[in-house]
Amino acid sequence: MDYFLAMESQIVNPVKRANRRYFIEFGVAMVAYVVVIFASRWLLRGPMEHAAGGWQIAIAVLPVIPVVLVFAAVVRLLRATDELSRQICVDSLAIAGGVTALLAVTYGLIEGGRLPHLSAWWTYVTFMATWGVASLFVQRRYR
Amino acid sequence: MKNRLKVLRAERDWTQADLADRAGVARQTIVALENGKYSPSLVLAYRFSRIFGRPVEEIFDPQDEDGEANE
Repeated sequence: MDYFLAMESQIVNPVKRANRRYFIEFGVAMVAYVVVIFASRWLLRGPMEHAAGGWQIAIAVLPVIPVVLVFAAVVRLLRATDELSRQICVDSLAIAGGVTALLAVTYGLIEGGRLPHLSAWWTYVTFMATWGVASLFVQRRYR
Repeated sequence: MKNRLKVLRAERDWTQADLADRAGVARQTIVALENGKYSPSLVLAYRFSRIFGRPVEEIFDPQDEDGEANE
């Protein structure tokens, strides 16, 4: 970590510094997510298997904490990056939100009887995938 | 919005990355500006004005090819 922080201090361009900080924060949050999700599963299948319901729910949602860290990293990046990068990111997020909502409503209308009921996880997966694809298309507008 | 960033940058023998570092923006922002795909904010326009030592109106031209104000 000291190595990365030392490298960060040598970069003058605030956008480069913000990007490097984001990748470090994102990487740390992702490692934390993997560790916490394995720890959470292990606790629920082992020592905490017969714990009270409240405790089990608390342990099950522990992996949300690193996800909050990812969210905080994205917000920090948005605040520190330059105006065009921010516009591209916000436009992509808006498109991803709109497309995800449209797909969720469409599937919600036809599921049950006609199509299988899907887990709420798919909303998150769809949003993240759409955000990635939308970013590519929005970036192309400015080349 | 048309601008003279590419010319002014070439006069100083700066790369797009050099100008991006001086302006504190990403290189893709310089690319978008030089290609006329993005109109900068007033703050960024004045930053370029300071960097090149020229008035904003000498760097950026708000008139498009038809003579109408752009955005």
